[in-house]
Amino acid sequence: MKVSLTVNGEEVSASCEPRRTLADFLRHDLGYTGVHVGCEHGACGSCTVSVDGATARSCCMLAVQAEGCTVTTIEGLASSGELDPLQESFREHHGLQCGFCTPGMLATAHELLRDNPDPTDSEIRAAISGNLCRCTGYQFIVDAIKGAIRPPHDGQQRDGVVEPGAAASSRRK
Amino acid sequence: MDVGGLIGARVSRVEDVRLLTGRARFVDDVREPGMLEAAILRSPVPHARIVSVDVSKAAALPGVSAVVTGAEVKAAVRGPQPVTWQVIPDMFHPRTYALAVDKVTYPGQGIAAVAAKNRAVAEDALELIDVRYEELPAVSTLEQALAEDAPRLFDEWPSNVLGRTAVRTGDAAAAFAEADVVLSAEFRFPRQMGTPLETRGVVATWDPFTDRLDVWLTTQAPNIAQAAFAEVLGLPVGRIRVRTPDLGGGFGNKFDFYGDEVVACVLSRRTGKPVKLIEDRAESFVATVHSREQKVDIEVAARADGTITGMRGTVYGVLGGALGTAGLSPCWVTAASVTGPYDIAALDMNLVGVATNRTPYGSFRGYGLPKANFVHEHMVELLAKRLGMPAHDIRRRNFIKQFPHQSPVFVFDSGRYEECLDLCLAAVRDAGWERIRQDARARGAAVGIGYSFQNEVTGLGPSRIQTFAGSSHSGFDEEVVRIDSTGHVTVYTGLSAMGQGIHTALAQVAAHTLGVPLDHVTVLSGDTDSSPYSGYGTGASRGAPLGGAAVRTAATRLKAKVLRIAGHILEAAPEDLVITDGVIAVRGVPGRTVTMADIGDAAYRRLGGRLPEDETPTLEEREVYDPVNVATAFGCTAVLAEVDRETGVVTLLGYLIAHDCGTVINPMIVDGQLHGGAAQAIGGALSEELVYDADGRMRTRTFADYLLPSAAEVPPVAISHMATPADHVPGGFKGMGESGVIGGGAAIVNAIVDALPEYDLEITALPITPPRLLALMRKGTGR
Amino acid sequence: MKAAAFEYLRAASCDEAVAALAGEDTAVLAGGQSLVPLLNMRLARPRLVVDINRLADLSYLRRDNGNVVIGALTRHRAAETSAMVATDLPLLAAALRYVGHVSTRNRGTVGGSLAHADPSAELPTVAVALDASIRVQGSHGVRDIAAPDFFVGPHETALAPGELLVSVSFPVVPGAVSVQELPFRGCDLVVVAAVAVEDGICAQARIAVGGAGPTPIRASAVEEALIGRPVTDAVIAAAVAEFTCDPPDSLHAPASYRREMASVLTRRAIGTAVHT
Repeated sequence: MKVSLTVNGEEVSASCEPRRTLADFLRHDLGYTGVHVGCEHGACGSCTVSVDGATARSCCMLAVQAEGCTVTTIEGLASSGELDPLQESFREHHGLQCGFCTPGMLATAHELLRDNPDPTDSEIRAAISGNLCRCTGYQFIVDAIKGAIRPPHDGQQRDGVVEPGAAASSRRK
Repeated sequence: MDVGGLIGARVSRVEDVRLLTGRARFVDDVREPGMLEAAILRSPVPHARIVSVDVSKAAALPGVSAVVTGAEVKAAVRGPQPVTWQVIPDMFHPRTYALAVDKVTYPGQGIAAVAAKNRAVAEDALELIDVRYEELPAVSTLEQALAEDAPRLFDEWPSNVLGRTAVRTGDAAAAFAEADVVLSAEFRFPRQMGTPLETRGVVATWDPFTDRLDVWLTTQAPNIAQAAFAEVLGLPVGRIRVRTPDLGGGFGNKFDFYGDEVVACVLSRRTGKPVKLIEDRAESFVATVHSREQKVDIEVAARADGTITGMRGTVYGVLGGALGTAGLSPCWVTAASVTGPYDIAALDMNLVGVATNRTPYGSFRGYGLPKANFVHEHMVELLAKRLGMPAHDIRRRNFIKQFPHQSPVFVFDSGRYEECLDLCLAAVRDAGWERIRQDARARGAAVGIGYSFQNEVTGLGPSRIQTFAGSSHSGFDEEVVRIDSTGHVTVYTGLSAMGQGIHTALAQVAAHTLGVPLDHVTVLSGDTDSSPYSGYGTGASRGAPLGGAAVRTAATRLKAKVLRIAGHILEAAPEDLVITDGVIAVRGVPGRTVTMADIGDAAYRRLGGRLPEDETPTLEEREVYDPVNVATAFGCTAVLAEVDRETGVVTLLGYLIAHDCGTVINPMIVDGQLHGGAAQAIGGALSEELVYDADGRMRTRTFADYLLPSAAEVPPVAISHMATPADHVPGGFKGMGESGVIGGGAAIVNAIVDALPEYDLEITALPITPPRLLALMRKGTGR
Repeated sequence: MKAAAFEYLRAASCDEAVAALAGEDTAVLAGGQSLVPLLNMRLARPRLVVDINRLADLSYLRRDNGNVVIGALTRHRAAETSAMVATDLPLLAAALRYVGHVSTRNRGTVGGSLAHADPSAELPTVAVALDASIRVQGSHGVRDIAAPDFFVGPHETALAPGELLVSVSFPVVPGAVSVQELPFRGCDLVVVAAVAVEDGICAQARIAVGGAGPTPIRASAVEEALIGRPVTDAVIAAAVAEFTCDPPDSLHAPASYRREMASVLTRRAIGTAVHT
């Protein structure tokens, strides 16, 4: 079947079988390989993209369902060659290691900050709890999302019982 | 030790922008012209003879290009799958091939494979393959494997015990005979795995006309993979190119060499086309190596003053139905490291490798160390309780204090364990945990603080140790540093970038050493055609101490050449020159400068008159570094945990690590590695387990079954650093990639025990899930 | 992990969907959060997938005579963030927050969760607690099925071949609510409770337990033991003692643990609701 949709502002179309997931369609038929597939059963969140303004796990959607939809992938976040504030904050706070979960994390974090512009640490943790990361232990992802809050917050603020890892690292020579 | 400069700087990673913008290239993003996609049919049964495999219907399916069976793969290759680590020379190493030939020895073992126009069609074809199994009784557990009348996995070996050895030092018998106190315990560690978010994958092109093999492979050890392809396929190494794309995590699981990549090569050869084979998540739970599963029996001998005088016992490695490339070595590391940071004069540890009808045992971050740590930290707490002493007093009394220290196997180069323990205690004090615990107890809540102390052999390693310990691969690393004609720097490495920030770390070392801006350095890796040779690849926490040291030395030599050329141009003695931000200046003479770009030009392009006559053109240095010793990192973990007495649910409230990995290259990266390791320790202690049912079949098939910790379960983590450089390593670097995972299990369990003083708990099996904790509490109440 | 081939119909009307579903081996694609993974794993292999996502007239929330009626295609997230659900169906609002994650709730539908009939899922448990009425449409027209009759077994419902779930009607009940789950994914239980207390006496109670049996279980004996009594800890404990269930083992929790936790969570749900 032919599927036509808008991806990152561009109208695109390709043909695929009905069984093709949106994730595979975006990656293999349209070339948006920034969409990552980690489990194909809706559990890891790596393939999360925005569909018509709401996050969706693209492994749990058929491509044919996306007919006429507007999709944003990680490739669409940095416009005009500049990282967006969330991407910048992930870089600054070391919110990624291998980068495989990062596209889904960014999509989820964008939606969180849109719907809740000033989340607490536990709200951030709850919001990303459907996005598995095996590298970072999440601490710096939480810091990165916190760091992208506008107006900027004191990066040291945290509602856990421990002082922040980044700024509070003590040193002894 | 370097002070200031880029070594030790908390700089953002050079890897990040590509990853943050979707520009990275992972293996499944590789698309070769005419490429086919493959899938493997895997056995659902644990133990069976293969009566017949009929692939005719699959081969006839439109869109299918080739189907191969185990027998066909065996005929197409030169030899069986390699076992890189053979720690017991006379152990039985069963010859196994990429696909099962006539017998299935574990659920998930490959039976046949299909290459088709896409993965969906390949999976359609798998359903058309008719396999007849004659099922054999499953030998699924250690107890079943060791039973008197146990069915045997291998017809050609009389037992499921594949090998035995021992790690011994001192006179253990005397230590136990003279002991004031003897304590014993039995530990069970479950099957767990690394589960990188990106599964394993390969794109193989084995051209039948040129006979050249070109492979994209998710590997942490490209040179080992290259050698393994050569050995299995019967090709010269020079005709094999292994390229490593961006890796979506490795954690050891991508260190080992798998039969799947051989299958992809055979299918490519058969079809004359590139073949992509990507493991899916469901099959990853049986097709990627498992780790951790051991039974450890231990006895500790001590004096009444708390001095531990001896340890003895047995490590049973619960191996799978075939040997992975790691063989029994993770279990050997457990036996060799069970004395941990303690100066214990006598050790007598037996090691028994036992085959079961389970997935092969392999590498996972921490290797044998998390088990060893859990054992010694448990015994320290047990001894403290028996003697009525604080556990930290036991730790301090037994800490190794003189370095270098000859442990049962390794020589520990350096350490300041008491200071590290103090640093951790100070962090706990600053975080106010004592008061939190006190307040919680006052309101009836069960909150506890637990500790563990770890040391760890990193930077494997001296090639002589590797050879001695039965490795068919060496431990040196080769790095190349080049300055080009524009004065920019390229570092070439054979290490794999898998998220650990090795490009940033090596760039920092090169930039710091040469005195150039960080963004003038590019690090290239991931192509055996152009990368230097890494004897052991990316594992064993060796990237910084091996790669960093080699870059440091190569860059130091290169800097000397730069200064000689600059001295020639500036008519100054090289020792009077300084390089800052890529500009070479005569010390104390403002304005007498030449840039790195000028030096590049003088070495590559306009040589006449500027390149000294006794210098060769080009600016490149190559360092092959084989360390004289391993580098010993160490750390102390503290965990604040709350237990719901009614449900057994453990909530972690805080997590602190005091750590020393010698000279830190980038503290942000080090913190990130420790955080990530801590999360894996949390999963390993509380929830992660690969479950086989009573019939020996694998029950864990999805992330709903294998319970990785989410952001909601991992508490805030904070790190305190101290730095005791490894004096024998250029730069003083020690490894730390595995550090975070080692001490977590013991600290978490000790926190649980501390939270429930009324129960007198002894937790010796992981993961301690809520049902298990509740059951133990009930047992404790009954005592 | 690629789905087996199937045919696909993007239904333009309920009637078209119902007509298509009358054929053999069909599956309804609503939010897809359960169906698509099952397709990917080849655990579901329908001949025809009928996509109802374009049936805009199945997406609504409205009050109707003391009930809130929710169209089958209403997304979880829409219901969760609806002011009407927050005021009239606080139990549903609370339960929805436990369903998956925002990205799954953006796609998942109220009707889909009910039709999927996972015995440990939140929405079926709320439907049983509130005695919701589920409306299905077939070639015969529509019929209403009470939630306790709708859920027949694990992933089994009273939907006849060719029928489409089109809406669910939840009665508005008084009282404060609580939803309880363990923060341990291996346990797989949910307890929902709505308890109305007047002058310290329990006036009404709606309690159901998901995951403790082949379908969600209405804890009727517990409700009866509460109603008309003062909601003291002792009364609650005695009421919860009336609850019996026979849950199966799960991968990470034995039946005995799950049975015990069903009681613990029930007590906590009641306690939390009455102290709200």
